[in-house]
Amino acid sequence: MTTVSNDPAVSVAALANGVPSDNRGSWIPNGAMIRTRIMELRKRRGLMAALIVVNIGIPTIFLTVRLIAHAVAPKSYGPAGGYDIFTTLVVGIMFVFGFIVAATLGCTAGSVDLTDGMFRHMVITGRSRLALYFARIPAGLAIIIPLVAVGFTIVCAVCVFAAPTKLDYQGVSVPPGLSASGFNNWAESHPKVAICGLPFKGPNGVPCYVNGRGQARPYPGTPGLSKLSPAKLKADALLVAKENYSAYERTFLYPSNALMIKTGLWIELEAIIGFIVGLGLASLMGQRTVPVVLMIVLEVILTPLFSHAAIPHLINAQRGLVGLAMAHLEPGGLPRGFGGGGGGGGVSQLVPESATVGVCVIIAWLVGWTALGAWRMVKRDA
Amino acid sequence: MSALTIDEMSRSDSVKGSWAVETHGLTKRFGDNVAVNDVELLVPRGCAFGYLGPNGAGKTTLIRVLLGLTHADAGTMSLLGVPVPRHRDRALARVGAIVDEPRFHGHLSGRQNLEILAAAREREARGRIASSLERVGMTQRADDRVSKYSMGMRQRLGVAACLLGDPQLLILDEPMNGLDPAGMHEMRDMILSLVAEGRTVMLSSHLLDEVERTCDAVAIVDNGKVIRQGPIAELLAGAAMEVHVDCSSPERARTILAATTLGEKIDVETTGLSIHLPSGAGRDAIAEINRLLVEDGISVYRLEELQVSLESWFLQVTSRLGDSE
Repeated sequence: MTTVSNDPAVSVAALANGVPSDNRGSWIPNGAMIRTRIMELRKRRGLMAALIVVNIGIPTIFLTVRLIAHAVAPKSYGPAGGYDIFTTLVVGIMFVFGFIVAATLGCTAGSVDLTDGMFRHMVITGRSRLALYFARIPAGLAIIIPLVAVGFTIVCAVCVFAAPTKLDYQGVSVPPGLSASGFNNWAESHPKVAICGLPFKGPNGVPCYVNGRGQARPYPGTPGLSKLSPAKLKADALLVAKENYSAYERTFLYPSNALMIKTGLWIELEAIIGFIVGLGLASLMGQRTVPVVLMIVLEVILTPLFSHAAIPHLINAQRGLVGLAMAHLEPGGLPRGFGGGGGGGGVSQLVPESATVGVCVIIAWLVGWTALGAWRMVKRDA
Repeated sequence: MSALTIDEMSRSDSVKGSWAVETHGLTKRFGDNVAVNDVELLVPRGCAFGYLGPNGAGKTTLIRVLLGLTHADAGTMSLLGVPVPRHRDRALARVGAIVDEPRFHGHLSGRQNLEILAAAREREARGRIASSLERVGMTQRADDRVSKYSMGMRQRLGVAACLLGDPQLLILDEPMNGLDPAGMHEMRDMILSLVAEGRTVMLSSHLLDEVERTCDAVAIVDNGKVIRQGPIAELLAGAAMEVHVDCSSPERARTILAATTLGEKIDVETTGLSIHLPSGAGRDAIAEINRLLVEDGISVYRLEELQVSLESWFLQVTSRLGDSE
């Protein structure tokens, strides 16, 4: 055992009440508290590994495999990037799992002082309990926001720079970015491909298809298009083009800059919500495991369920679901994460809610859970 | 050890009339259980003060109330003359404390844990980390993870955490727990050196021998109430005295003394008598015993006034309270 030094290395303060003027009673945390809180979270290796794997690792590995597969066998494997891959990764993985890992980080930040026995030491410093709570918010966000941003940037970069060079619309190779008249002109100049390849609900449906080489072919035993005059072909192709243009104009080689920015902000907001709610819930309950489970249940089970199945007597309660509010704020141009959303094609099946109400719901969740967590922090016996 | 009264001890401090810890009517209930019962406690400044009591007496609860870890149901209190909880930020700025077993973030090093705590204190606290670690002998292990620390090392780290605020008052709850004899010795030396610097150390413990060696004054708590408090020397002076009489005929001597009020309890031993004098009996009682025995023809070879230890006094006081209830 080492020897205790008797040297008064720590000088005694003046015995008069020399109280430091550091605004210790203020609810605003200082920079050092935030920095050390970041350090405390960052040193949790398991948690950080999970955050990095989900936000950066999974998209990176998925895109890397696709890049390699496309480079080795381009005819069997399509390009690694592009609009479809972007939407699949963002809505399928980053949105849902980003929420869950952010919630896990929040639950950790909200409970570890208690479970590790540090809360008592912190309270004894005389620092405002509110400041102790609020220091966790910027600290956690300083970790989760950059992680989400890095993962999302990788996805965007690959999806833009490794995007397909030809637009594959409904299995038909179409030049990208055409205007309505341009699309009509293309259809008139490729009438057989347009008629046989694009979906059409009108009366002029012809039993034919487009093969893998982009050639129009009749189904076996049918006359196909051979008996139609060139004028009739052009007229039918024009009809087909007009019916398909609205869907075509939402199909891109790669996501636009505006879509990427909006989507990035959207998934960052989702991660922020996950963190703040997790923080408040864990602070309220004083533990980590149960709040994490509850957050997963909220995101994976309750939100999809109550976002779609409208129950007339509970419709306003359903509108209070933060996941539904986020689905309604989904950027136009993305497919619907939970079967609905802002800009995807088709009829939205979400429980209806205005964007204003959605924003209010999100603010209420952020403020409400922060208030609950802070209240418990102040009232809790240490 | 000084034999000053509590008033004299307080007057020796630069802040006249102001106590390090002062409570009046302090009460804390948990349902029907009164853990802290109308406690009147005065801890003088600049001394080591022992807060003693049997297990479950309410020692830790009182400390938790003082530090704002839990709220009081009634009463008033102040730390270093600053009323709490109204001004707890000001009061605790110059207080360091260990309550129960000191626990820290196990995945961080001792130094990193202190950095977290220093960040919640004033700006200068960060500069005290190295000296605090050195003072508790933890410099060599400061960068190891706390999960690898022994109980004794965590106790030391707890004391280092207390020193970050350059405290005028340290409240240590069972600081000897988990320490080996050498560690207890070092801890005792450190407490004494802290007191020598002018700090006040309030020490809760059930190790009465350690308290007697370390503290100037004590308070005894039982069933949530402070039943005695004051300088140790003063308290023991008023304790029941025990006298050993080495004489020629112990049985006859016992019969003679039993007819008087000089002995509360008289035991015959192989070498004589052991007599417990009534509380408050002075040295004249010993002379009277000698006179009675000699006048009755009993040869008295030796009279020995036995020193009352804090432990035996503590047991007398607490068991007396138990008997009365």
